[in-house]
Amino acid sequence: MQLQTTINGKPIQAEVPAETLLIDLLRDDLDLTGTKRSCDMQICGSCTVLLDGQPVSSCSLLAYETQDRQVLTIEGVSLNGSLHPVQTAFLQEYGLQCGFCTPGMVLTTLSLLAENPNPDEETIRAHIGSNLCRCTGYYPIVNAVKKSVQLTNNTPGD
Amino acid sequence: MRTLTPFSILAPTTLQDSFQHIEEHGWNAALYAGGTELLLTMRSGLASFPYLIDIKKIPQFDEISFNKDEGMLTIGAGATHRSIETSPLVLEQLPLLAEVESMVANIRVRTVGTIGGNLCFADPHSDPATLFMAWAGTTFELVSSAGVRQIAPDEFFVDLFTTARAENELMSKIHLPILGKRMGGAYKKFVTLERPTANVAAFLGLANGKIDSARIAVGSVGPIPVRAIDAEGTLLGGFPDEKLFERAAETAAEATDPVDDVYGSKEYKKQIVRVLTRRALKQAATRADRSQ
Amino acid sequence: MLDKAYGVGERAPQVDGPAKITGQAKFAGDIKLAGMLEAKVLRSPFAHARIRSIDVSRAEALPGVACILTGNDLGDIDPYYGHAVRDRPIVAIDRAKFAGDPVAIVAAESASIADQALELIVVDYEELPHATTIEEAMVANAPQIHDTEQLRLGLFHGLGDFQPHNNICYEHHLEDGDVEKLFSKADEIVEGEYRFPSVYQYSMEPHLTVAHWIANDQLELWSNCQHPYLVRAEVADIFSLSKANVRIHVPYLGGGFGSKSYTRLEPMAAAVARKAARPVRIANSVTESMWTSRRHNMICKMQTAADKDGMLLARKVELWLDTGAYADNGPRVVATAADAAAGPYAWQAQKVDAFGVYTNRPPSGSYRAFGATHLQWIGESQINEIGRRVGLDALEMRKKNLLKFGDTIRKGGKPLDADLIGDIQKVADGLDWGEKRGENIGRGFGIGLLAAGSRPVSTSFLRLEADGTITVLVSTTELGQGARTAMSQLVSEVLKVPLSQIRVPDGDTQITPYDRSTGASRSTTLAGGAVHLAALDLREQLIDIAVKMWKLSDEAIEIREGQVWGGDKSATFAECLEWHFGFVGGELFGRGIVRPEEGQGTYSAGPVFWEVCTGGVEIELDRDTGEIKLRKVVSVADVGTAVNPSLIKGQEMGGAAQGLGNAIFEEMHFEDGQLMNGNLADYRVPKLFDMAEEFVSVIVQNEDGPGPYGLKGVGEGILAAMPAAIVNALGELGIEINELPATPERVWKAMNDSRQDDNTLQKKIGGE
Repeated sequence: MQLQTTINGKPIQAEVPAETLLIDLLRDDLDLTGTKRSCDMQICGSCTVLLDGQPVSSCSLLAYETQDRQVLTIEGVSLNGSLHPVQTAFLQEYGLQCGFCTPGMVLTTLSLLAENPNPDEETIRAHIGSNLCRCTGYYPIVNAVKKSVQLTNNTPGD
Repeated sequence: MRTLTPFSILAPTTLQDSFQHIEEHGWNAALYAGGTELLLTMRSGLASFPYLIDIKKIPQFDEISFNKDEGMLTIGAGATHRSIETSPLVLEQLPLLAEVESMVANIRVRTVGTIGGNLCFADPHSDPATLFMAWAGTTFELVSSAGVRQIAPDEFFVDLFTTARAENELMSKIHLPILGKRMGGAYKKFVTLERPTANVAAFLGLANGKIDSARIAVGSVGPIPVRAIDAEGTLLGGFPDEKLFERAAETAAEATDPVDDVYGSKEYKKQIVRVLTRRALKQAATRADRSQ
Repeated sequence: MLDKAYGVGERAPQVDGPAKITGQAKFAGDIKLAGMLEAKVLRSPFAHARIRSIDVSRAEALPGVACILTGNDLGDIDPYYGHAVRDRPIVAIDRAKFAGDPVAIVAAESASIADQALELIVVDYEELPHATTIEEAMVANAPQIHDTEQLRLGLFHGLGDFQPHNNICYEHHLEDGDVEKLFSKADEIVEGEYRFPSVYQYSMEPHLTVAHWIANDQLELWSNCQHPYLVRAEVADIFSLSKANVRIHVPYLGGGFGSKSYTRLEPMAAAVARKAARPVRIANSVTESMWTSRRHNMICKMQTAADKDGMLLARKVELWLDTGAYADNGPRVVATAADAAAGPYAWQAQKVDAFGVYTNRPPSGSYRAFGATHLQWIGESQINEIGRRVGLDALEMRKKNLLKFGDTIRKGGKPLDADLIGDIQKVADGLDWGEKRGENIGRGFGIGLLAAGSRPVSTSFLRLEADGTITVLVSTTELGQGARTAMSQLVSEVLKVPLSQIRVPDGDTQITPYDRSTGASRSTTLAGGAVHLAALDLREQLIDIAVKMWKLSDEAIEIREGQVWGGDKSATFAECLEWHFGFVGGELFGRGIVRPEEGQGTYSAGPVFWEVCTGGVEIELDRDTGEIKLRKVVSVADVGTAVNPSLIKGQEMGGAAQGLGNAIFEEMHFEDGQLMNGNLADYRVPKLFDMAEEFVSVIVQNEDGPGPYGLKGVGEGILAAMPAAIVNALGELGIEINELPATPERVWKAMNDSRQDDNTLQKKIGGE
């Protein structure tokens, strides 16, 4: 099928088989390898990307679903080559270790802040709570999201 | 997970077109909405289809509307869990539905997965299926080239992954009556693995301090969610207190016939049903009491 | 953030943070080689089966299939590997020994074609009787999983006496004092039989290897392995290559926790790439990784004897660890479990008999805090039970009986190098031990020791580049623990340079020098020790240059702010090099070598240090469901010296989460050897909601470690302590647990059992 989509703000046209999964389009065809495959059954959240701003598991979503829609991957998060405040927050709070779940965590956080710029702790936990991390015990990640709220609200024009 | 075997996607933009595709391809085609369960099944090697019929392009398929005169909320079968959970209309008219929908799987599955897909897949661990089973007056609307029919949940769910939906039918809508005054509902689930070990939905109506309507459904511990009819009976006419709830919970638990599996032993599942039923009844009663 | 020097003890930001947070960090799965094939593995559906024949003709004929490897292709190499015991063929030869054992490998142009080809391979199996549990494997006339007469030692056995027999792969015995005599005079004896489940390390990134033969005598691998030098040696041995001709690149690892210790997919990938004469990638699914490595399930019988004052006398332990179909790291796990079994108490006598048992299950290997995690909860719950009987509180029991600094732990081994009573007091303080809690609130703690450090052989080069920046060549694997940050800080401490001027590239056995392994909490102590020595070496060379350049005495030279100073004169490192070489080029190398001091190289004389495993919890129990909610975790990390307190806290929090999983959630279920829950839907690991609201992390710095600045390793201890703490917290609530995980159902059942006991007791009393 002929696919037209926008990935990280860039229009993409590709001829792909209908059964192509979004993660394979990203990683194999477009070399956007920041999106990580792990559980491969839409549970762990490592492969999270945003589809029109909403978090989806790219391991279990057909690339077909991105037709005429916007996809954001970790490679598109940085602002003009500098870190997004959410990324800065994760670094400041040691909200990552091995880095494998990290792109998914950052994108899930972005989807939260887009929906609710001032989430309370309960909302934060509910929103990111199903993304799995095996290194940090989650505490630094929750702190990183809280710090993201602060930093994002302090970034002019964002 | 294995790689998907090749298929074609058909994307009808009208109901008529979709009927035509369904009739042409029969069971060679799978109806495809969110795909969260379908693709997982296919990737697990449990099924393969040469055609997927994407029904999301059918107009109004994901619409949520409220008919004030009839007191009826209608959810398009193509509405995603996430859209239901965050719908202002649902939050205002049926907050319990929003609550249950927010408990489905995880946020990524809810973003993509649809309510109709969930119901038609008939996974025994479904959250909304158990909720609707207990929800008096709920109907599912099935459409085909032959027309429209309404079906109640207890007729719709037939067996494990099996529904009364015919090959040429698709689910278009879910109709839910809003709760009357002095009515309350609650939903409880117990989760240790990804899917619930057991889930219970309960609705109570109060009149003059006594229970005048009761509906309980128990899910995840059998092939389909089931009503706990005897337990409901024990509640009618009684005072909504812990002792009565415990008795009803006991009756509900005894009525189940779970199997030993990775979720737990038969004995333990019955205990969980007992606990969840009691807790759901208590919360439903509190909510009924508060609803004027 | 990195544009600043961070010395030892400072909370440096992670040097690999920017690469990881932007998705630019490369993991093994991100490596693409031109012409690379995708390989998929056909695995035995039977726990034990003879392979009568394999017909690959239809699969081979499928367009896009490059080659198919079976046991018949291994004739010209030595196909058996295993660092402890060479008991494992690259793919099954004649017999498949567990459900999931590789039988054939397809290499194809795409994963999809490889999947289709797998379905076209026809294997004629003859099912054989199997032994899929420890009990089944130990009975007389049990099916023999290996012909033990034929077994050969692996390259890194290192455990002395090796006499496998029947299905016993390895055994380890410790005996000290007259146990029987002490038991006969004891006032209190606690005994029980306990079970620990099989669990999966669950790193987010499954195993993956890319293999590429450059010529028939040169092999290049990209692999997410923790111990590249050990893998290199094994792979070289299989294919009769020079070790130096096997080049292993180790990119960032998406977690390891022991699952990526030793040799994993590398022999398979190399063998298929050799046959295909093209680069090949094998990428495990989560299920396949669960078949690749797991933690040993265990049966243990333990008895503890004490006098009426709560003075511990003797302990007897028998334990059987299920190493699965292949030994993997089983022998080491057996020995370490034996070491951990008695616990850090002043026993008058102890006897430990530990066995590693072959079964028809997937092989078991290393998982963070192995041995200690298996045993600590058992031993610590028995100490608490003695305390209850003699009327001593858990803390008093510890104060009365714990070993003291310098005490012997096992004969000939390293004496205790930590203050255990000080550590456990800090745990108790963190829990407000004296305070009363509600009736469903339980508190518990545990303490133990873990033989840490493995073999103390690590080397490093520091390369001072012409531009004055520093490249740290060290083969420690960065798997999230922050090794590259810690190494950078050790350099920054000595040479006072900002972290942005220090780079720690990927491990590469052709470039980064020898390091024994990344595991056993050894990296900062040993590889860090090598980096520290290399930095000192470089510092001396720079001072030497400055002495000559400025004609000053070496006392007058100082290194600060990333420059060399002599009185009011200063020069950048680059300027020093330019002066030294008389040209804008040339480099200096610092060299660091850590090797055993005399008598420190063997296992019996070790360990390098004893890692303290201690922590405590407060839990809330739902008596209706048996569900435990963690309210508070206290971790005490006894690290000697903290290089980076934030990274240490990260290790503690992550380790506690894994310990929670081992304690109450995780269990690989097998039925007749078939893994029933090989996926994330049915195998439960801790999620955000499971973690305690409060996490208290205490870092103890007594400078009593063998590493630079008196540091010692960290990161495993809290995992071992968590099950002990949780089981003891349940014990405080009157619930006795003798099988993990303490799932809600097990807790509920244990609760009902103890309630029934109470009822029976009451009836008895009432009747009399």
